[in-house]
Amino acid sequence: MMESLMVKDLCKTYIVNKRQNNVLRNINMEIKQGEMAAVMGPSGSGKSTLLYTVSGMDDLTAGRVNFFGKDIGSLTPAQMSSLRLDEMGFIFQQMYMLKNLTIYDNIILPAYQSGNGRGREKRKEINSRAKELMHKLGISEIAEHDINEVSGGQLQRACICRSLINRPKMIFADEPTGALNQQNSGEVMKELNRINREGTTILLVTHDMKVAAKCDRVLYIEDGSIKGEYIFWKYNGPEENREREKKLSVWLMEMGF
Amino acid sequence: MFLRILQKDLKRKRTMNMILLLFIILASMFLASSVDNLAAVSGAIDHFLDMAKVPDSIAIALLDGEQDGIADFLKEQKWALESEVTDGFNLINENVAVTNCQADPERTGYERTNTLFIQKIPQNFMKVFTEENEMLVLAPGEIAFPKVEADKNDLQVGDSVCVRIGDVEQEFRIAAIVKDAVFGSPMMGFKRLFIGEEDFARYENQDGIVRTRIYSIVYADQEKFKQEWKEQNFSVISGIEGKGVIRLCYIMDMLIAGVLIVVSICLILLAFLVLRFTIVFTLQEDYKEIGIMKAIGMRDMGIKGLYLIKYFALAVTGALIGLVFSVPFGRAILKRAVVNIVVEQTQQHFIIHIVCAAAVVGIVLLFCYMSTNRLKKISALEAIRSGSAGERYHAKSPLKLWKQAGMRPFFYLAVNDILSSLRRFGVLLMTFCLGILLILLPLSAANTLKSDGVIWEFGLSPSDVYLDTGRGETYVTDMDLMFRDMEKIEQTLAEKGMKAVTGADMGYMIPCYAEDPEDSVTCYTLQAVGNWDRHYALLSGREPELANEVILTEITAGELGVGIGDTVHFLMKDRPEEFMVTGTYQSMMNMGQGFRVSRSAEMDPDYAGGIMCIQVEIEDMESEEACKKLAEIFPDYRIMDVRGFLDSMIGGIIGQIDRLVYFIVGIVLVINGLITVLLMKTIMSRERGEIALLKSMGFVDRSLQAWQTVRVLLMLAASMLLGTFLSFLLAPCVIGPIFAMMGATSIELVMGSVEVYVFYPLLLFFVTGVTAFICSGGVKRVDMKEVNEGE
Repeated sequence: MMESLMVKDLCKTYIVNKRQNNVLRNINMEIKQGEMAAVMGPSGSGKSTLLYTVSGMDDLTAGRVNFFGKDIGSLTPAQMSSLRLDEMGFIFQQMYMLKNLTIYDNIILPAYQSGNGRGREKRKEINSRAKELMHKLGISEIAEHDINEVSGGQLQRACICRSLINRPKMIFADEPTGALNQQNSGEVMKELNRINREGTTILLVTHDMKVAAKCDRVLYIEDGSIKGEYIFWKYNGPEENREREKKLSVWLMEMGF
Repeated sequence: MFLRILQKDLKRKRTMNMILLLFIILASMFLASSVDNLAAVSGAIDHFLDMAKVPDSIAIALLDGEQDGIADFLKEQKWALESEVTDGFNLINENVAVTNCQADPERTGYERTNTLFIQKIPQNFMKVFTEENEMLVLAPGEIAFPKVEADKNDLQVGDSVCVRIGDVEQEFRIAAIVKDAVFGSPMMGFKRLFIGEEDFARYENQDGIVRTRIYSIVYADQEKFKQEWKEQNFSVISGIEGKGVIRLCYIMDMLIAGVLIVVSICLILLAFLVLRFTIVFTLQEDYKEIGIMKAIGMRDMGIKGLYLIKYFALAVTGALIGLVFSVPFGRAILKRAVVNIVVEQTQQHFIIHIVCAAAVVGIVLLFCYMSTNRLKKISALEAIRSGSAGERYHAKSPLKLWKQAGMRPFFYLAVNDILSSLRRFGVLLMTFCLGILLILLPLSAANTLKSDGVIWEFGLSPSDVYLDTGRGETYVTDMDLMFRDMEKIEQTLAEKGMKAVTGADMGYMIPCYAEDPEDSVTCYTLQAVGNWDRHYALLSGREPELANEVILTEITAGELGVGIGDTVHFLMKDRPEEFMVTGTYQSMMNMGQGFRVSRSAEMDPDYAGGIMCIQVEIEDMESEEACKKLAEIFPDYRIMDVRGFLDSMIGGIIGQIDRLVYFIVGIVLVINGLITVLLMKTIMSRERGEIALLKSMGFVDRSLQAWQTVRVLLMLAASMLLGTFLSFLLAPCVIGPIFAMMGATSIELVMGSVEVYVFYPLLLFFVTGVTAFICSGGVKRVDMKEVNEGE
């Protein structure tokens, strides 16, 4: 399988009050196309920084990140924006949306902004795609609602719709279930697994074992370095949950989590 | 602990605190300078007239011999408390040479704005002052000019002029530009130049020279004096009765002072509008923290006290800085607006500044106190949940993106933001709208005065060419000369193959009454002379045709209490004449007072005051071409089209309004820019989360900048439409009455022009747009990771 994301000797350093803080140290990893990988680790280990750095949302201090063959370190800000718009999707822990727009308008906004979103016909196509996505994620009925009128789970599913609207090659998710209750969390993960099965690569950061257990691979990060990885077989459904969580739990304990 | 929290707060929220501080500085500066200017301008004219010692009555007469009946009368007059006779010489263009006598032997370089005298520095009555408001003092060889004359001829202090009267020619250095209370206003038909006593004596010692005498009279008993004066029926070329008339002559200065008052009120409104917005906005920023303070048990009064201390510290600092800037700012505005009047500047004015600065501190604290009152109504949890914005967004999105087939997302976001937060952007709308009104209202006055049609409002008729032979006053004593000149012009043009007719309006100063001869008023009466039979604009009735018919202005009709069909009596020396009123008209000459008699009326030449110019109408020729040709044919005459003629009458005023409009445009541009920057920064500081989110989605900086800029430009466009609409509504109420005071009781203001619809909108769009775009560059500094700080 071809790599969708290849990270080599990645370092990220922040300077705070003239003191150097090495958040990521020589990270090397690969995410295969169609893979769903989770990054776990204790608080402050550098999980989110890793996600933001490999997705181009933050600059890297040293090393290389290849996204589907493109060295993101060498891209101009405009090229990087275009890459984020058309080939990447982002899901955050908090369900960030523009407060003055309805759910539906929030979802279609990136598609309208994309170069492929110009013209009446293209917009028709986007609208039908958005409706289809919302239908698949079970949120059709909230399309015209304001963002304060829906539940957290519905809002996060709307964020997933938004991240998928431009048919991205890869989704980056930063604790996508972090702000949700167990039921909503389960629904969101179900959708992410379905999207992954349809071919979209997913890299997510989580501290929830149940979430990580539904991924193909779990990377464990500590003090800015990847300490190990646990490879699962492809997730087939909720009946496997208990067994996967058990295995992951044992491994994480071994890793000192 | 309070101080520690305060210190931390001031440091941590540096941007918002700086913005608030800037607004407080602006508010304090605008309020202090505007209130001071209001106080200075409102009593300025009375103060100026008192300083100059303007007498109760002024009469001007020509004296071509030793006999002076008026002086003799005044000497014997017991009803006059004080009187003074001042000598002067009437100057025509040929008397004055610009630069020096050798460089301009033909005297072609000088242009008078009006009837021009030269005289000694007045010592008792009608005193004059320098631009620095000092009493005028001149050394031998020095001369002083009024501002309108100096401006007209592009003369400045230090320049040389040469003045020839009779056989005596002297060269002077311009030592001062003077403020002349009686004759200095652009509307006054006379202007005075001043020289020292020795220099003046050299002109005096000549035989057979015609002098202009100015008589200043202070009444002991006004009624009795006027009665005896009327009985004498003196022949004067002009009479000014009371300070009221002089005050009216400063109407344009009052128009400008009025504009200044409008500007000041707008600036005060603006300051408070923006101040309240910023305080509410910055307090909303702190809601989360307020919630936490409540949660840990701090009492409402304690929290309120904390914010009051913070805003007090900011308000005192801002008000002090604003106070310092308010003095030069206020003076700069006043100096540009009021150029003809000596404005009183006393210690009291600085007290006004201090009181205003203190008021700003009080108002800031009041706004703060009122805004923090909401604290009582919300629980700790609510405040924390409301987040950093302190608001819940319940507003339905009014515009759907999916319905906008052709709208680019950045444009949609801009429109949608405005529609979703009308109150927030309303501040910008009102600010811009006030700015537009500030420009358009004085512009409507300037445009009306500049329009060709305004000639009708002077009670005159338009013609192809207005020709000034420079002998307007000479025609008073030799009317045949005027007719010969007119005939010569027609003849010369006929020889050149141009069929032309000429005409002029001879002015007379004749006492007149309706019923009681004791209630007579002296008004300017015009009579059309020459071969050209032309017509005038009437408000009602018809033009006078018979020898005993007259039309009069609405103002004069009101004063005399007469209407169409009534009779008025002209009190000429030997034969009181009865005239029947056949119509009314309006005129901005002589403050709206005046008569026009028919061409066949027999007028007494002793009462003639002169003509303004000879009008020439040429068959089958446009005015522009006619002026060009006549300028070649008559190089010694001053040739003007209607525009040039109006400029010669009211040019100083138009220039003054134009300068004021430019100054206001400058102020409005600076204010628009400042408000744009400050409001954009304020709003962007709250939108950092959204900007970061859009960036993370893949919006490029350019799109985000366009989103931010378009919002401002849309508000500007909306305010332009609203401002233009409001200016159409307000101008007749604000500017119309000023024209009515000048005599144009039913004037149609010229509102639309290229400047109104194209030039100023484009200028405002360009400057505000560039400012907004530069300010929107702040989106580049928003890090995508800040998405986690959003709501």
